[in-house]
Amino acid sequence: MAVTTYSSTSTRFRQKTATRWLVRGLGVLILALVAWRVVTVGLAEGYPATFWMSQLINGLVLGGVYALVALGYTLVYGILLMINFAHGDVMMIGGFTGFFALQFFMALGWLQGSAALVALALILIVAAGMFGSVLTGVTLERVAYRPLRGAPRLVPLISAIGASLFLQYSVLLIFGVSPRVYQKPALIEGGFRAGGVFIPYTGLIIFVTSLFLMLMLYLIVQRTKLGRAMRAVAEDKGTAALMGIDVDRVIVFTFILGSALAGAAGVMLGFHNTVVKFNSGFIPGLKAFTAAVLGGIGNIPGAMVGALLLGVIEAIGPSALGIPTEYKDIIAFTVLVLILIFRPSGLLGEVVSEKRA
Amino acid sequence: MRNARFLLLFAALIALLAACVAPAPAGAPAAPAAQPAPAEAQPQPTGGQVVIAPGQPIRIGGSFALTGPIPDPGKDIRQAAEIAIDDLNAAGGVEGFLFELVAEDGACSGDQGTVVGNKFAADPTIVAVTGGTCSGETFGLKPILQRARIPFVSPSATNPAITDPECDVCNRVALSDALQGEVDADFVYNQLGLRKVAVMHDNSDYGKGLAEIFQNAFIRLGGEVTNFEGVQVGDTDFRAVLAKIGANQPELIFFGGYSTEAALIAQQMKETAGLENAKFMSDDGAYTQQYLQAAGAAAEGTYMSFVAGDAQADKLAEFTEKYVAKFGVEPSQLGPFHGQSYDSVILIGEAIKRVAKVDDNGNLVIDREELIKAIRATKGLQGITGTLTCNEIGECGAGGVQIFIVENGQFKQIAGFGM
Repeated sequence: MAVTTYSSTSTRFRQKTATRWLVRGLGVLILALVAWRVVTVGLAEGYPATFWMSQLINGLVLGGVYALVALGYTLVYGILLMINFAHGDVMMIGGFTGFFALQFFMALGWLQGSAALVALALILIVAAGMFGSVLTGVTLERVAYRPLRGAPRLVPLISAIGASLFLQYSVLLIFGVSPRVYQKPALIEGGFRAGGVFIPYTGLIIFVTSLFLMLMLYLIVQRTKLGRAMRAVAEDKGTAALMGIDVDRVIVFTFILGSALAGAAGVMLGFHNTVVKFNSGFIPGLKAFTAAVLGGIGNIPGAMVGALLLGVIEAIGPSALGIPTEYKDIIAFTVLVLILIFRPSGLLGEVVSEKRA
Repeated sequence: MRNARFLLLFAALIALLAACVAPAPAGAPAAPAAQPAPAEAQPQPTGGQVVIAPGQPIRIGGSFALTGPIPDPGKDIRQAAEIAIDDLNAAGGVEGFLFELVAEDGACSGDQGTVVGNKFAADPTIVAVTGGTCSGETFGLKPILQRARIPFVSPSATNPAITDPECDVCNRVALSDALQGEVDADFVYNQLGLRKVAVMHDNSDYGKGLAEIFQNAFIRLGGEVTNFEGVQVGDTDFRAVLAKIGANQPELIFFGGYSTEAALIAQQMKETAGLENAKFMSDDGAYTQQYLQAAGAAAEGTYMSFVAGDAQADKLAEFTEKYVAKFGVEPSQLGPFHGQSYDSVILIGEAIKRVAKVDDNGNLVIDREELIKAIRATKGLQGITGTLTCNEIGECGAGGVQIFIVENGQFKQIAGFGM
């Protein structure tokens, strides 16, 4: 327990405070170095304002996708204290389901029809992707995680990594290694210009839909009976069960919510970047995990803020720091390491797990 | 609390590790000392002999990019090699001994090329190797096969450094990118009349190598290269790097890499400020049907170069007929390198015919050192891609570089050089 550590001996306490100040000083130093680099190198390049605006928009779109996936990590962590490493692949399954739904509606001719028909088809395609992901997520929970409930905490983590590989290579075996190409219907092809900045329609749709889905999630968690049950289980599984809450059912519901968001992200990413293949959930999954940790894993608003921030850092970072864009992944994962060193509870902190560990 | 922090750190470490491993850093050639020295299995300093008992096949290894960034061209190259094996066998094989293809997945990556190379080196029945498909993969194979004294002929690895005077087992039918990069730069500067370009590459041995040659040649001609930007094989969102390039408003982007990334760049360029009217050009790694399919409308008006032989029309037609009969698909639907692949195997087969002898017990004996020399001595061999003659460093390819433009969803040849 944290309390006993602090009061056990006074020398240890002093050492701890000294270390803490050292770490803080180091953090400030790193921030100062980054700021100095941005001012002397990034801003000195003389990019126009529209350039920074379009990078910001790229970042927000990316962040919207990360947010939907990050919420899945954070929801599951909040309740099971377990990192579902297969979550990125659950998203990829959504992308594939969406692709086949798209093929289906193309064959029906809906996507050549009126705008209303196309919009309806698009919504149904996203819904199909969500359904595919939910099915996968719930199956994973039942097969790979539930039997390990109560096992040491590293065990389900390893099971999750196994599940991730299983999903990737199953898709590789079934659908082959070639990427599947999403054909954008004319309605969402291209984009528009606002103040000299090009905004692709798919990007706008991703951002708006993400915000909408996040709002829905917030309402579900805060305003419904099931949401209250989720929060109760996150607080304390044992007591929640004693209060008559069906813990297993709540956990399944959590997986449904997280997977549905990931499925929507998978389909929208498919339309935005036009390709989906067996490993296309892997890197976005890692980034979303980073975003969840950045915001404070287990914390729902934290995942949203962390994801948008990470997306923007990734898009603007290379130009602002004056380093090659091929290092954007390094920037993202460096942020993860720095957060774990300097603020392990994330930007918005995590209240629940502090109490239990 | 401490538990939770440990778990997170552990998870982050795994994530970082996985991220480092995943995008298959195409091709760092393996350090010579790190290999499990296959030479120890064979006591002789030279390669010794392969002795094949009656009824046993002559085994030719094949390293093909069956997974990785270009699976369709990889499959095409494997199937073309199978047709060549069939043809060699239909012609009677060697003294009644038949050929067999041992196909392995080189995955277009240096790591996997090393794995395949070690597999072949450990197998005393492998006589020669066709492959690898990609340059990075072939850099993985090269030092291992060199030590194991197994000659290889690559149909499609185009990085200039694949062949060198020090390597007597290294040969290829593909043309070196030293030529392709020069021709592409010359085409952009003199034929298109453009002076300001940006260069991108996918950080593979192949893509980056070609992009550097293009950049150097273009600057030497007097042009300006505004950006030289790398991406990763497997990336799907290039908007950030394109925005950076767009700020300099180049007239053309040259991309050294493979078809999926090329298609996505061609698409996302159209949405980038400063690149709306910029042209796009890529290379033989992107000259595929898959590029046309993935880029869709954005492919129109883009340029591709390909290292082509001066195809022998009648031989190609005969080959295509057998290929379609066996696999039920036109070879050009999958990839561009089937002719080179067929010729690689035929080149190996003909060299084996020249050196193989039958001993008193009826075994077929192939001396490894003689075979290495025989492949290098190939002269005037009539292949699908032209008349193949290997020079002193193992460049056996015929033909030159062709430039294509995409029109109405089709590649249309608009120029040819060095044919």
